[in-house]
Amino acid sequence: MNNTLRNRRRSLGAIFVEGDIFTKLSYVIWGLSNIVRGQIVKGCVYLGIEVAFFYYLFNSGIMNIANMITLGTNEQGMYYDESIGIYVVQQGDNSMLMLLYGVVALTVIAMALVVWVTSIRSGELARLRKVNGQKVYGVADDVVSLFDQNLVRLFLFLPLIGILIFTVVPLIYMILMAFTNYDSDHQPPGHLFNWVGLTNFKAILNTGSKLGSTFLPILGWTLIWAVVACFSCYFGGIFLAILINSKGIKLKKMWRTIFVLAMAVPAFVSLLVVSTMLGQNGIVNVLLQNWGFTSSPLPFLTNAGWARGTVIVVNLWIGIPATMLMVSGILMNIPPELYESASIDGANPVQQFVKITFPYMLQVTTPYLITNFISNINNFGVIYFLTGGAPQTLEYYKGAGKTDLLVTWLYKLTKDSNDFNLAATIGILIFIISATFSLITYARAGVTRNEEALQ
Amino acid sequence: MLKKEIIGLHRREQTIALGGYAVILLCMLLPFASVGGQSVTGFSLAARFLAGGSGGFLYVCAALLAVLQVACGVFLLFRPSVKGVRLWAALGAILTLAVTCQLFASKGCFDANGVFPGSFMVKNFGVGFWLLLLASFVSLHFAMRATKVSTGYIVLTILSVIWLFPIVWIVLTSFRGEGGYYVGYFIPKTFTLDNYKALFSANSVIPFGKWWLNTFIVASVSCVLCTLVVLMTSYCLSRLRFSGRTTLMQAMMVIGMFPGFMSMIAVYNILKGMGLSQSLGALILVNVAGAAMGYYICKGFMDTVPKAMDEAATIDGATRFTIFSKIMIPMCKPIIIYQLMTAFLAPWGDYIFPSLLMGDRQESYTVALGLKWLTDFRRINTYYTQFAAGSVLVAVPIVILFVSLQRYYVEGMAGSVKG
Repeated sequence: MNNTLRNRRRSLGAIFVEGDIFTKLSYVIWGLSNIVRGQIVKGCVYLGIEVAFFYYLFNSGIMNIANMITLGTNEQGMYYDESIGIYVVQQGDNSMLMLLYGVVALTVIAMALVVWVTSIRSGELARLRKVNGQKVYGVADDVVSLFDQNLVRLFLFLPLIGILIFTVVPLIYMILMAFTNYDSDHQPPGHLFNWVGLTNFKAILNTGSKLGSTFLPILGWTLIWAVVACFSCYFGGIFLAILINSKGIKLKKMWRTIFVLAMAVPAFVSLLVVSTMLGQNGIVNVLLQNWGFTSSPLPFLTNAGWARGTVIVVNLWIGIPATMLMVSGILMNIPPELYESASIDGANPVQQFVKITFPYMLQVTTPYLITNFISNINNFGVIYFLTGGAPQTLEYYKGAGKTDLLVTWLYKLTKDSNDFNLAATIGILIFIISATFSLITYARAGVTRNEEALQ
Repeated sequence: MLKKEIIGLHRREQTIALGGYAVILLCMLLPFASVGGQSVTGFSLAARFLAGGSGGFLYVCAALLAVLQVACGVFLLFRPSVKGVRLWAALGAILTLAVTCQLFASKGCFDANGVFPGSFMVKNFGVGFWLLLLASFVSLHFAMRATKVSTGYIVLTILSVIWLFPIVWIVLTSFRGEGGYYVGYFIPKTFTLDNYKALFSANSVIPFGKWWLNTFIVASVSCVLCTLVVLMTSYCLSRLRFSGRTTLMQAMMVIGMFPGFMSMIAVYNILKGMGLSQSLGALILVNVAGAAMGYYICKGFMDTVPKAMDEAATIDGATRFTIFSKIMIPMCKPIIIYQLMTAFLAPWGDYIFPSLLMGDRQESYTVALGLKWLTDFRRINTYYTQFAAGSVLVAVPIVILFVSLQRYYVEGMAGSVKG
């Protein structure tokens, strides 16, 4: 990998040395080398891109980058206009847009660089073919090659542009935001915000401050939630799958469908329904009182401890069928001879599970467990639709509640209190946590898989 | 003389079950429930309800069945037959059901018939009842074991009831004639179709038909486009070798570890810059643009398709595009169905981004936004039954789709697990 990179880099310099005058000129005038060798259309496209790029760069690109560095200097406010002798409102700079346009400008420059390198290579290829007396590719040849040798370009172009615009650019923008003070007191366009370095990270990780004393408990609950939710659904699902697949059970398909129903109903529907059922006057409390189990409504979603228990139990209701469905297929793959010989040796069902089923299952499903754990750290839906993070507490920073996970807190910080810098910081911390967990487990499990080995 | 062995019958379990039913009979003589020093036994309750009284059949039925079970049990002990024990176990199941129902129905029944009026709670059940409940399950377990019927049915039945409870509730509520959120009973007093009609009536404030259609459009368009994007991306990553391939895959994995909606605000601003905010097109665009990130499962599947087929085709002069369209696509049918299905289902439950994108523009809402809007505390009391009807209308087509295509879903999941 490194080797090829180095080779390529050297060859970019080598091209300059080896190439003729047009090749050298094409480092400045993109596509010139192509035009000279007869690839008029291709060369003109490169040239057009260069013109457009530099037009953009001088027209607004450089300014955008400069603005991103300052994040605006003119604050909106009343200024004295000497010529007319009164105070007038002056539109200030919009730091948020400046940051966004700056990121866009950087992206455009990066893409232009890619085009530049491509144009040089393509010009060099054309030169070599001409020198060697081979046919120089025309437009038609290029189009044909898009369906064969260069299929990658055809297939990956649009998907990667999509990822770039709607995933990478926003992500860079938000990561940068973690290093600014774009909070509720610095809202553009009325106010400016500025670069503050690592202040946000220090504030969140400082246990003495209000923010710090919110972050740590929420992190703790997030991890507890992720572990409990992940493993309870996992073992529950395995248990259910074994139960349904066991020998004596008839109408397997019907039983499976009953549980799959819970999973097939869109999660937000079932979660909204369940949250209305569990309210103070919801049907569950009504029935429990009618049946004489309790004399006053139970605080399913309003008491911190109860609410945490409730979200875990409700998550079982959705998660167990999902695991059951996945595990069913794997269970059938376990060679039945193993069980036969085990039962001849006198192993009871529990021993068979511990010695045969579970080790097999664990080995096969480790990657699933990791992704499931990480998706539980980010399990927005269950918390948001069931409790919305409630019950809120004054111990926590602005509006965060006892069942809030880091992600739902992040959402609240962006949606309700507009503390984008804190939200971005938490996002980065979540990333660090997820990445650490997956790296550790992948390294431990030794899941280095060989793509070719599956053939 | 006891017959020792009968084919298909476990005599030991049969005897234990009979013992259990004898215990039940004894339990009926123990205090069933007691409030403030006063207590009643199971038999006295049954005797009291024998004369009539609402809900009393539970107690009469349980007492009669307990006597019957012991009598039949003794008979079967001497004249055993597989069919007989099966029937016996079935009666035992009814007894267990009746006793379990007593746990839930006792308060209502006692209050209605003036037993401990108004003061009975579940905690007032006496030792007799709890033993009875336990013994009825244990006996049923052994009675079933006696004829080699799997006792997993007991657990499955209990679990099914728990799992179906919310679903049954929402379906019943959607047909409920009485409006409102707060009702003190499970089964509606009157049934009506008005809740469904109200969703689609022209003068309704809820443009549910429009919401449903919006979601359907977004789901259909984006499922086709997303699947295409995923197929192209995974084909490149699985089959074509190009510089930067592994870097690309690693980069996508790393990017995928950031919480998705951290960057929602930025996406929203970009869409606004494009002049696309508050439109369904923007929703589709964002879905499709992110689709390539989900290449993993599909690539894993393509990795298992033998490469020899590609090589053979290449020798015959096929271009890579031909290999993709003529070999890969047909081979990947299960995973294509899986991708289509997951991409089609996603917009129905997607809430966060659409809510940011659409804001208060109700005519562009998807069902998730609309239904969430209906459960706002200011509206829930007025619209709860219509919310229920809406939920059913969203859930039914999806459930049908999901259950009928379950096989592909399982295969897709299994593929991702193996990878």
